[in-house]
Amino acid sequence: MARYGMVIDTRKCVGCYACRVSCQMQNELPVEETYIKFHEKETGVFPNVKNEIIPVQCQHCEDAPCVSVCPTKATYTTKEGIVLVDADKCIGCKYCMVACHYGARTQDHNTGVVEKCRFCAELVAEGKQPACVSTCISNARIFGDLDDPNSEVSKTIVKMNAQPLRPDLGKAKIYYVR
Amino acid sequence: MDTKLSRRGFIKASAATAALASAGTVGFNEWSNQYVKAGANAEIKEIPSTCNACSSKCGMIGHVKNGRLWKLTGHPDHPYSKGKLCARGHGYATVVYSQDRLTQPLKRVGEKKFEPITWEQAYKEIAEKLNKIIKEHGPQSVALTEDPRASGKFYSPRFINALGSSNYYTHHVVCSNSRDSGFLHTVGVSSTSADISNAKYIMFIGRSYGDGIRPSSVQALAAAKDNGAKIVIVDPRLNNTGNLATEWLAIRPGTDLALVLAMSHVLIKENLHDMAFIKNYTVGFEDYAKELKKYTPEWAEKITGISADSITRIAIDMGKAKPKALIEQSWRGAFGCNYENSTETGRSVAMFNALLGNYQQKGGSIFGGKPNLGKLNESKHPNPKEPEAPKAGKKEFPLAYHSHGVATIVAKEALEGKMKAAIYYHSNASLGYGNPKVMKEALSKMDLVVAIDVQMSETAQLAHYVLPEVTYIERDEVIEGLSGKIPGIALRQQMVDKVHPETKPIHEIYTELAKVCGVGQYFNFSLDELNEAMLAPTGITYKQLREKGTIMFPNEEISLGKMKELKTPSGKVEFYSETYKEAGFKPIVEWIEPKVSPADDSFRLITGKQAIHSHTQTANIPILMQITKDYDLERIWINPVRAKALGIKDGDMVELKSSEATSKIRVKLTERIHPEAIFVPSHYGITSKDLKTGQGIGFGYMEHVPFDFEKWSGAGNIHEVIVKVRKVNG
Repeated sequence: MARYGMVIDTRKCVGCYACRVSCQMQNELPVEETYIKFHEKETGVFPNVKNEIIPVQCQHCEDAPCVSVCPTKATYTTKEGIVLVDADKCIGCKYCMVACHYGARTQDHNTGVVEKCRFCAELVAEGKQPACVSTCISNARIFGDLDDPNSEVSKTIVKMNAQPLRPDLGKAKIYYVR
Repeated sequence: MDTKLSRRGFIKASAATAALASAGTVGFNEWSNQYVKAGANAEIKEIPSTCNACSSKCGMIGHVKNGRLWKLTGHPDHPYSKGKLCARGHGYATVVYSQDRLTQPLKRVGEKKFEPITWEQAYKEIAEKLNKIIKEHGPQSVALTEDPRASGKFYSPRFINALGSSNYYTHHVVCSNSRDSGFLHTVGVSSTSADISNAKYIMFIGRSYGDGIRPSSVQALAAAKDNGAKIVIVDPRLNNTGNLATEWLAIRPGTDLALVLAMSHVLIKENLHDMAFIKNYTVGFEDYAKELKKYTPEWAEKITGISADSITRIAIDMGKAKPKALIEQSWRGAFGCNYENSTETGRSVAMFNALLGNYQQKGGSIFGGKPNLGKLNESKHPNPKEPEAPKAGKKEFPLAYHSHGVATIVAKEALEGKMKAAIYYHSNASLGYGNPKVMKEALSKMDLVVAIDVQMSETAQLAHYVLPEVTYIERDEVIEGLSGKIPGIALRQQMVDKVHPETKPIHEIYTELAKVCGVGQYFNFSLDELNEAMLAPTGITYKQLREKGTIMFPNEEISLGKMKELKTPSGKVEFYSETYKEAGFKPIVEWIEPKVSPADDSFRLITGKQAIHSHTQTANIPILMQITKDYDLERIWINPVRAKALGIKDGDMVELKSSEATSKIRVKLTERIHPEAIFVPSHYGITSKDLKTGQGIGFGYMEHVPFDFEKWSGAGNIHEVIVKVRKVNG
């Protein structure tokens, strides 16, 4: 059984927002609603400056707080480790939004459903890549099976010593190269 | 509950999912099986085509769900997309469903007041006026300007030539005119390409792959970085490609030429130039080398602000890495955009690459190959004669690249009473080509202005007639030839049915208008016939091309390592240019001061692309403009040291004043900008009230740009702008 995860190499990310827009179109989201948010971190003083862009979305935590707090079990984790939302069960209480360490959840103002990155589960089921990964112009995103040591994602994590964004906040399935 | 279920594809599956989920946590495979079953009702078609969100026209695949454009993916075979699309590529496609589309022909009946008319009336009145103007003032009083795309490139020059005029222009006057001229008279082509993924040392000057995006270029640069290439960015601002760079040279704006001259000096002084290449493939090296003696790194340090040590070190390292080292050829606003010295910067770059002997070498600068495409049978489909009178602007700017021309000459001649009619197709010249005040005055002086567009641009607002085109999502186009290491072809084709019945594709508009103008004999073919004729020598059928969208010709891959004869007068790289001399310019490249310089209390206003916007056409796209809103991307960049002295904090509202205009805008304080410069992203400041999403966000930097021509190429001097800034209340 695959256990899906992702690597985001921020040293390659040019902050182009292609992942955000392709995700919105894949998921037919309203323009104000996004699953991917961007944080900029500028360090140093002119002209010795570094700028890092950190795309953040649902980290598909192993022990996801959004899953444990959900009163209706609308948010659940699949056997493959993807955290999903059952829209029919969601009552829009926003408990999961509060519980999420990463601010990764967003409420659809039309439906009231609180949603987030789903690793494009239906594309993955067809053997394809999530929309954000397939469109990433610098190949900064790699998706695959974390349990397969020969998968590109696993090899990259080892080679680049990729780390979760906040290892202190639990085991995430998105790893960052920074 | 129904709306909740119906709005999204994946939610449609939720009823099935819920049944499983209620029994406990479902497995992903069960979930996805249920999803696929539940989602099977939607009819999804995948149609290969090309993008229109910028001039690259990347290959893309439209995914159409139940007849409506749903999403896009990059075409895997197209050399620019290589399976990827940028944000503007994804987002601009939604223009097809824009609330602000033009839906019928319009005639101006007052200041910014229009009434709908029929196509027949529009054609009749436009043709009558055009013919009257041509009869009274000659065909050279008529001009056509466009931001060229596949069909426009074929039909627009043909249409204006059919009317007897040679006045065809492109947007390059505010894009790459400088580079085009500098390169043309040095290496015989207006642009080379670069073998980035194999290069060991890459320098970018004022060019950002991460902002003016072609996805394959970014992939190549990321690959070069993985391979350990040195990547140097020369720019007054640390642009978004900075993450991929090994070094940022925060150059004083307008001084790139000094840097390149000094690096060239070092190469020759250290004997790191490729003498064999110079002997075999260049002319005028001795004169050039003599001139370069005075351009020492110490001299350049004072001008550029880059230390002599850095200049020397980088030049030596590039010399050692040759021929897998290059200065990239740049594009929009080549080499730090359009300064008075930009053509000479372009020329010096082409020469620096010659010193490195990197032309037609692996990891160097490349002259690409072109596909061999057919033409219409001229006996059946006559070509309009090439008009004898030269293109307006040719006399003033003999060095300018002929195919692009100097588009703003149309405004100048209109103000002088010489140009009487102008057609703008897919071009927002009045906002994007220099000073909007001047452009507005110029357009108001003309007897006839026609705008062909998909939305009510600022230029359309000034037109007498506005003709509504279908969007690129709703039309087939002329086949696009792709030149490069491997040549190929791509086809833009229709993905969805026409949204507004009274809109037409450009080939139909030109064909029908030409008939009414009395020159229909030059348009006696269908688009399909034209495309079939173009395909004939390739052995590819139209059906095959329609199915694949992009087809490459790997058998025609150019061979590297072999220099070819160039299209310069000497057939070689010209360090010394007789053409320059004849045109009244120095035949040897030399240092030229920027036209204006900031003082202690002022700044130079510089501009550039952001990854999500293109010209001004994307400003009215909600999915893209929302990113601007979410991240305050319309703000100007200012260095914190300068801001502090002016009492300005991050997010403050300021007034920005130049010789031409005053704007109010909020500031972004960042160490990523040279203290002497203010950066403003180039796609904002929409004033057309009919563009509801874009209107009023940010300001248009062109408002601050004096109406001016760079002496060599005729390019707009869009970076020769000085501004003062003061804090005001928001």
